[in-house]
This record gives sequence, structure tokens and C-alpha cells, in this order.
Amino acid sequence: MDNKTPKQPLKTVFSNNIFIIGKVWRLMPSYIILTVCEGIMWGIINSAESLVFYTIFNALDAGEPFSRLAALIGMISLFYLVTGALDKLYWVILNPVIKQTLHYRMHRELFQRAQSLDLACYDDPQFYNDFVFAMDEADSRAIKVVDEVGKLINRFVASGTLFTLLFTIDPLVAALILLVSALSTVVWLWGNKLTFKAQEERKPLDRKSSYINRTFHLADYAKEIRTSRAGELLTAEYSETVEKRISVERKYAWKFFAVNTLVNGMGRVLQLATLLLMFFKLIAGTVQLGGFAAAVNTIWRVRWFFFDICQRIARFPEHALYIEKYRKFLCTEPTIKPGETPVPDTFESLELRHVSFAYPAGADGEPKETLHDVSLTIRRGDKIALVGYNGAGKTTLIKLIMRLYDPTAGQILYNGIDIRTLDLDDYRRKIGTVFQDFKLFAASIAENVLCEAYTDDREADVRRALDAADFTGKLDSLEEGFHTHLTREFRKDGTNLSGGESQKIAIARVFARPYDVIIMDEPSAALDPLAEYALNHNILDRCADSTVIFISHRLSTTRMAGHIYMLADGRITEEGSHEALMARGGKYAEMFNTQAKNYIREVQPA
Amino acid sequence: MALFRRKQPDAAQEKKKKLPLRQVWQNNLFALRLIWRAAPLYFIFYFLSTILYAIVDFLSGAFLLRLIVNNVQSGSPPAQIAAYIVGIVGANLLINILSSYMWNVKLVGDYHRIEASIRQMMFDQAQRVELACYERPEFYDKYVRAMDGANDHVRQVMYTLDGLIWRVTGLIGNSILIFTIDPVFIAFAAIPLLLGFLRKKNNKNKHDCDTDLKPYNRRKSYIRRTFYLADYAKEMRQTGMYLRLLEDLRENLDEFKRIHRKYSLRRAVYELIMKLGTQVVTVLGATLYATFRALVSGSMLLGDCLVVISSIGDISNALDDFVVKLAEFHEHALYLEDMRTFLSHEPAIAENPDGDMPKGGTIELKNVTFRYEGADTDALTDVSLTVRPGERIALVGHNGSGKTTLVKLLLHLYEPTAGDITLDGRDWRDFNLTGWRRQFSTVFQDYRSFSFTVAQNVLLRPTADPDADRALVEQSLRESGAWEKVETLDHGIDTVLTREFDDKGAVLSGGESQKISLARVFAEPERPFVLLDEPSSALDPIAEHRMFENMMRATAGRSVVFISHRLSSATTADRIYMMEKGRVIETGTHAELMAQNGKYADMFRKQAENYVGA
Repeated sequence: MDNKTPKQPLKTVFSNNIFIIGKVWRLMPSYIILTVCEGIMWGIINSAESLVFYTIFNALDAGEPFSRLAALIGMISLFYLVTGALDKLYWVILNPVIKQTLHYRMHRELFQRAQSLDLACYDDPQFYNDFVFAMDEADSRAIKVVDEVGKLINRFVASGTLFTLLFTIDPLVAALILLVSALSTVVWLWGNKLTFKAQEERKPLDRKSSYINRTFHLADYAKEIRTSRAGELLTAEYSETVEKRISVERKYAWKFFAVNTLVNGMGRVLQLATLLLMFFKLIAGTVQLGGFAAAVNTIWRVRWFFFDICQRIARFPEHALYIEKYRKFLCTEPTIKPGETPVPDTFESLELRHVSFAYPAGADGEPKETLHDVSLTIRRGDKIALVGYNGAGKTTLIKLIMRLYDPTAGQILYNGIDIRTLDLDDYRRKIGTVFQDFKLFAASIAENVLCEAYTDDREADVRRALDAADFTGKLDSLEEGFHTHLTREFRKDGTNLSGGESQKIAIARVFARPYDVIIMDEPSAALDPLAEYALNHNILDRCADSTVIFISHRLSTTRMAGHIYMLADGRITEEGSHEALMARGGKYAEMFNTQAKNYIREVQPA
Repeated sequence: MALFRRKQPDAAQEKKKKLPLRQVWQNNLFALRLIWRAAPLYFIFYFLSTILYAIVDFLSGAFLLRLIVNNVQSGSPPAQIAAYIVGIVGANLLINILSSYMWNVKLVGDYHRIEASIRQMMFDQAQRVELACYERPEFYDKYVRAMDGANDHVRQVMYTLDGLIWRVTGLIGNSILIFTIDPVFIAFAAIPLLLGFLRKKNNKNKHDCDTDLKPYNRRKSYIRRTFYLADYAKEMRQTGMYLRLLEDLRENLDEFKRIHRKYSLRRAVYELIMKLGTQVVTVLGATLYATFRALVSGSMLLGDCLVVISSIGDISNALDDFVVKLAEFHEHALYLEDMRTFLSHEPAIAENPDGDMPKGGTIELKNVTFRYEGADTDALTDVSLTVRPGERIALVGHNGSGKTTLVKLLLHLYEPTAGDITLDGRDWRDFNLTGWRRQFSTVFQDYRSFSFTVAQNVLLRPTADPDADRALVEQSLRESGAWEKVETLDHGIDTVLTREFDDKGAVLSGGESQKISLARVFAEPERPFVLLDEPSSALDPIAEHRMFENMMRATAGRSVVFISHRLSSATTADRIYMMEKGRVIETGTHAELMAQNGKYADMFRKQAENYVGA
């Protein structure tokens, strides 16, 4: 979250909280209805306790017959039995299911939303933070707000009845409690503001301290801490953080003391006044024993209810803050809109025409153009390569082709049709990609290869793909074959694959279905030289008829491509076959020679 | 409670251990002693204020009511009672002010001081234990990671004891009062204790339910992660995987309902009975009895009646809570047991305080064999290797051939299973351990950037002479090629890296952070050895080439051991060790190995093939 918590107008606080309640109402109306009922029921229970007290003592005082009292107590027992059973029915049996179902329904909506989100949203840290927050907090915030409302209903009912009771016993005491509650609320609000301010000041310090704590127990840092003097550095930083935290506390010490003493002192004065007042009335006989006992017993509860209402209302702005993020997320419209035209059946060509692209401006200002006026054409069966230094724009280009982003200028054409007019899901599924940073899912091998639910009629596809990716050897060693569950994320018998094996699964994906275009984004990054060598040859053999785009900064991989595009600073600076580019003696040749230098020197004489 | 459960991840450990009473006692005392040492005044006042509060609370509660009503009934002089009322409420106010002063003003830093002293103790031990502790899953889960909650758990002991004192003080007062009125009421108050067996059953029911729900929760959070982590975003958009995950989510909800149904009804019944036990049997039962005595037998004063009815519920709750609190000590003890085991763990590779400080020289590994704990095969077998002053040594071989293990062994992060390691002929155990490790400047394959400033990341030590250190940092960054980037950052070398706790921190690419960690090597010119584990994996060829030449120039005079996949960088080494399956299979210069025409030559040619044309 941000270091500073922003201020928001009352209207936003109100509308956001109403929004979330409306959301819950639509997704799970039973939750709202039950919450209201529960609040009212508890309001009645809470006031009943004092009323019982009052009635019994008046009866005692008046010397009523025991049988009447016994009957009263019997009725109360029955009341407790019924309300107790209702309470458990709700909280133990119904409420957990309601909460989980709400979680499911809210997340289903969020996930569908997230799925249609532009990839660009993930690059915008501010948006991304809010997005993660929306995901993390959505249902728990909704539950908090609804439960809070239930509690408020309860407090209002209870304090209302009890206050009326007090008023009938003695209006002066009732007036006194109103006055004291109002005064202490003012003081409390001031204290609340102070607490908030102190928290804000402490937040970065708390984060730092928990970070340092983490570094000591995470295995990631263990080696560095043992071999360098980082431990001393961390300890010194930690001590400094502690001192700073203490000085923040010091700054507010006397203020908190004042708040505390004032609120407490007012409470004591109220207690003293009530006791003395009721005592003298009791002696004078203007109040009965029941009234005396009920007043003394109730005054604390009313005060507590009032106080609790303030505290709960004060929490709504915080809720609103989180809901705002959730709301904003739900309202975000993807800029990459699917087109209508169905994708043609046979692939002929893919053309980039004067394509430029800039990532949206980050927090630090100017958007930087990543691609500038790039034009290239790929025909069916072509093998092309995109090469260049880190950050030249190779991966960006791929993301544009996959329509994860739209170009800022220029067009991308599929069989001559602008891809923006094509059906988005259909189009994306025409392109098979092995990402540099591929991810495996906690699912079976088959599902990881197909990237969708496995059905028996897909067996041949899975086998063929795993074979093409050279995974068969490993597959035979697995007891459950391609039904083996990957990762131990939530299954203890799951299998963890090594980096190289995982990569083979990722590669198998592009062989599981026929694709128009296959993109290999540095697929050999995790492999050692011999495995890389084998992989490159394998891919080329398997993809004899397919259209393939290779991306790499290792020129040994890309040399096999028929046509090579050299990218530098977002432009295509050179293109042609390996031989042509070498003959030209430009940047490509320089890069190739640098990489080859030591090899050539040693091997050529041999 | 949640924290407590987290530390027992395996089903086998799920069953709660029983500790002997003596140990429960000792462990809790241990925690209290920690707090006492860190902040004695805080410790004393914590409990003192509770006792005072409890007494005043009792006096101004039931006791006062009884006094008033009984005195009114018997017609005592009102002034005396009024004075008593004022006295008690006044005392209450005074104690309030005193404790508010103590907590808010006088003892304000102590809370943090206690935390700091506990954490510091953990940090020190975390640095002492051998690296293998982090790799032993049971040890790690149970001890190392659980240290995260050490602070909370130590404090919990204090809270529990405090609650106990509060309860006992209140109980003693109220019980005496009630007892003097009529001992029968004590029996009413004790009735809920008879339902203790139900609580036990209920706890077990809850515990079983939580255990059953664990996979549900894990799956839920996993699915959520796949949707919001940027890592998965591309795959999710390109494939139909997200539909499967949505389906998963729905099935998971059904699973929850199934498990919930199994446990919830029983839980509701247990809890209802327990609640009615207190509410109906104790409170209403006692009320009935009291009214009977007051009205029918006429043997009870109204004030006594009032006291009984208003405080019997409290007594009953207090008794109940008392039992719960006692049980909490056992839970604390279980956790503290882990903490104490961790703290008393004697590192297998211990500091040798009397050892000499090593000053470089020739390191020799003689027939070293090493096996990771719990592994079936040796990671290194019979490896011999020599590093002389100023030499450049290359370790090459496939993934998993033992290169990185060898580097870690050189740093004495592990103890070899067999074989000797010597420095100028003397066994390495003769030397000071910290001193031994500080002979090496190391860049690990999985190097880490700390969330500190660039300068701190390069130095990785507190700075002694700021000006000299700044110059050193700048120089080192220039050598490693990171300077160009660092210069463009908002605060130069004072820019904080990562956004772990600073939202304005700089997030660098893999290649850039690798260069910064490389700069560490140049900032420690006094260390005679340099260990580089794939220092250029994130760099492109040109950057790699430049870095390599810089490296060799800037480390002239120091011994360098480096690991690289790309054999082109090994050609200039003084000696190459080709490794396979934990053994050194070929040794020599590049020319010698090529002439030998073995595995190295084969690997080299395959890599070269595409550059030279097969």
C-alpha cells in the first residue's frame, strides 16, 4: 500500500460503502437479510439482560410471590435457549458457507475481469498494486462492511432500549450519560487522529524492520550473510529503525497520555455522579432497588455501546479506501478490444507495417519508445530470427504480434487484415509461444501441455507433443505418466521438475496443437550448451513445415534461420541471411564475432 | 493460534506433542526472563498494574453494590457510604492516571526494546547456524522460519500470565464475597467446569476441521495467485487454462461445503450446550436460588442477592477462562521449545575464535568428497584442486556436475564428508572461520540485492570512512559496468534498490543487478580470492565480453575461480577443471584439453559449431 493514506470526502466514503453492500446484495442476498436479522436479535438479547435485572429486583423489593419470579426465570431460560440455538445456527452452520460462496462469486467476477485486462496493466506498478489489493481484499472487505453494519444495527437497538430504560428510571442520569459520551467522543476522535498519524509515521519503519527480519530467516540471503559483512550492516540498520520507532512514540507520548486520562477521567466522573445520585435517591426512597441496580449496571453498557458505535463508524473511511480500489478495478475497460471478424482458416502471411510502440509512461515521466517504425513480413513456412542486445525490443515485438499490446502507430496485418478487427481469442490461439519466463501450473503434465482441461481424446496430442519436446525419457520414469501432478503447491505427491525438464514441458505446448506461427522466445536460456545445441536442432527438425520466429541474443541459435532481423534501440538496423549479414560487416557481424572470437581462434587451426 | 499451527506443516507432525510439566514451566520462565532482562521496569509494572486494577475493579463493582444496598437496608449513616463511594472511585481514577503515565510516557520505548532484544538474539543465532540448516526442510520449517514469530510468542507468555493474574485476583475477591454469603453459590459457578470435556471435544473437532480444510485453502490461494501474478498473465491470455482454473475454483467450493457439513452441526451443538451451561444453569439457577432464599426463607439480604446475581456469571466465566489460560501455557511451551532448540543449536561448522587469521596463499583440496544431507549420491567425489596466488581457474561442465557445490565448499559453508582442505599446507580448521570466509569475494549464481542503497549493496558492510567509501563504490561500479545505469538513478549511489519497503526504490533488470553485485568484488581488493559463479548469465554477448576483460584486468594479482557455461571464456584460464557427475574428469589449460580430445574438446566444438561452420 502507499506510504500515505489519502483523505477522502464523506460522499466517497458513503458511496463506496453503499456500493459494496449493493454488490453483496446482488451476489448473495441471503447474507444481507440474515445479517440484519442477527443484528436485531442481538439487540434484543442485549437489552433483555438489563430488563431482566430490573424486573427481578423490583419484584424482590416489592416482595412478590416466588412462583411468579420462578415463572419469569423459566421464560428467560426458554428465551436464551431459542436465541442461543438461532445464534449458533447462523454463526457456526450458515455463515461460513455464505462467506466462502461470496468469496467464490466475487472472485469469479474478478478473475473474468482480470483475464480481459490489458497486459499493460501489469506493467503499471500503481495499477498493479491496486489490482492485487482488489483481489486480496475484495471479499474480506465486503464481509467486514456487512458484519459491521450488522453490529451497528445491534448496537443501535440495544443502546436505544437501554437508554429508554435509564430515562424512565432517572432522566438526569440519562442526560449525564449523553453529555459524557458526547464529550469523550470528541476527545476520542482527536486521539484517533493521533493514532492514525503515528501509524503513518511508523509504517515505513515497520516495513523496514520486517524486511530485515526476513533476510535473516530466508534461505535466499543465507549465503551472502555468511560470506560478507552484510549481517553487521543489517543489524546496524535494524537498531537504527528501532531507535526511530521509539522516537516516533516519544513524540506522541504526552498527547496519548492526555487522551487516555481525559476519556478515563470522564468515565469515572460519570460513575461517581451516578452512584452518588442513585444512592441518595435510594435513601430518599424516590427510586426502587431495581431502578438503582439497573442504573448502576446499565450505565456502563450504554456508554460502551455509544463508544463502540463511534469506533465502528470511524472505520468506514478505511473500508471505503479499499473498496475504491476494488471499484476502480471493476470499472477498468480493456483498451485491447476484441474485433468481430473471424480469423481466416489458412494462414498466408503476417506483416508488420511501420509499427511503433511505447510503453505507457510510468511514474517517472516520459513514455519511452521501445519500437520505432518496424516493418517486416513473415510468410507461411518461413523461419526468421530476431536478434539484438538486451532491451533492443525483441520481446516487445513478440507481445505486439500476440496482441498483448496494440501498437502506438502502424498496423499488424494477418493475411492482409488488421489484427485489431479479428476475434481476439481466436487470433491469439493461432500463435504458439514458448516464453522466456514460461510458467507451469499446479496441474497434471497433460493439462500443462494442453493448457486446458484434459479429455481422453487428447491423449495422442499430448504424447506427440511431449515426444517432440524430447520429454519421453522422463515421462517413462513417472509412475502416473502424463497424469502426474506437477508442483507440490497443494498436493504432497506432486512432482517438482528440474529447470530443464520444465522447459521441455513449455516447449511441448507448441506441439500440442497446430499453430500458424510458433514463437521461441529464448527457449534455451536455462539449458547448458549441449542441451541447447540438441534443442535447437530438434525444433528445426520438427518444425520443417511451420512458421517459426526465433528470438535470442545467442547468435549460434539464430544462425539457422533463413532470414535474420537485427534490432537495435527499437529499430531494425540490419536484415538478411546470416551469410549476407556477415558479408556486410555491420553490427550483426560485430556481435557474432565477439561471441565467436574465442571459439574461432581455437578451432580454426585444428 | 494461527501462527502456532503454521509451524507444523506435515500431517505427521500434526499430532500435538505433550511436554513434561517441568519443561512447560522452564520454557515459559525462559520467555519471562527474556522480557525481564530487556525491560525490568516494564515487566514489574505490567503485572503490578494488573493486580491494582483487579483489586479496585472488585472493590468498585460487586463489593460496593453490596455495601450500599445492605447499608441502606440496615440504615447506616449515608455520609460514611458516600465517603466510601468517593474513595473507591477516586482510587480507581488515580490508578488509571498512573498507568496511563507509565505506558504512554515513562515506558514508551520498552515495547520496541523488548522486540529488538529478542530479534537481535535470533539474528545472531541465524548467522551462526550452518548453511545446511536452511536446506534441511524439517529444521528450516520448524525452527528457522518459525523464528519470524519469536517476538509474538515470547510476549504471549506475558499476556497469558497477566490474564491469569487478573482472573485470580478477581476470583479471590468475588469468591470470598460469595462464599461468605452462601457457599452453595460456588457450586453454581463451578458447573461450567464440568463441561470441560465438551470443550476438549469441540477443540478436537475444530482442529480436525481446520486440518481437512488446509488443501482447500491452499488451492484457493493458488488459483488466486495465477490470476494476479504477472508471471502467469501471458499464458492465461493465450490459452484456455483460465477456464479450467475457474472450474477448479467452483469444485473447490463444493469441497468446502462437503467438509463443512461434516463438522459444523456437531460444533454448533457443543457450543450451544456450553453457552447454555453458563447462561441458564449457572446464572439463572443461582438467581432462582437467591430469590428463593430472599423471598421464601427470607434468610438473605437484598444486597447479597444483588451481588450474587450480578457477579455469579463473572465468576463462572473467570473459572472457565482460568482453565483455558492454564492450557495456553502448554501451547506457548511447545513453541518456545522450538525456539530454544534453535537457540541452543550448536553449529556443525563453528567459529574457531583462537584460530589464526588467514592471509591468502595456496588453497588445496585433497580427495574431497561431499554429500548433501539426505541425498542418495555424492555431490562431489574425490575432487582435488589447487588454487595458487594470482591464478585464474575455470570450472566447467554440465548443469548439476558439482561446480557450484565446489564453490560453496571453498567458502566453508559445508564440511566435506571426506578429504582435506588446506591453505599453504595447514588444515583449514586451524583458521578463524569468519576470517576464512572473508578471504573471498564471491558473486553467487543466485546473488541477491538487499533493499538498501546501491552503495550499501556494493560495500555490504557498515561504512567507516564515508568519503573514501563513496569513492570506492563509484570506482567499483565503473569497473563492473554498472556505473552508467547507477548514474541515471535519482539519487545515484544513494538510491534504494527494490521496493521491499521503499516505494520509490529502483527496480533494476537482471543484468543491471548482476553488475551491481559484481561490483562487490572490486570493492574488496584486500580479499585474496575471487569466486564467480556464472557472473555473466544475464548479460548479452558484448556486455559479457566487456565485463570479462574488465574482470581479469581489475583482479590482477588475486586468485580467481570462475564458473561459466560458455566455454569461450575458459580459454584464457591458467587451468580448467572439467567436471562431470561430481568428479573432475579432465584438468589442464585450454590447449592441453583440446589436444587431449576428450569431453571438454567435444563440448567446446559443439558450442563453436554454429560460429565457425561445422
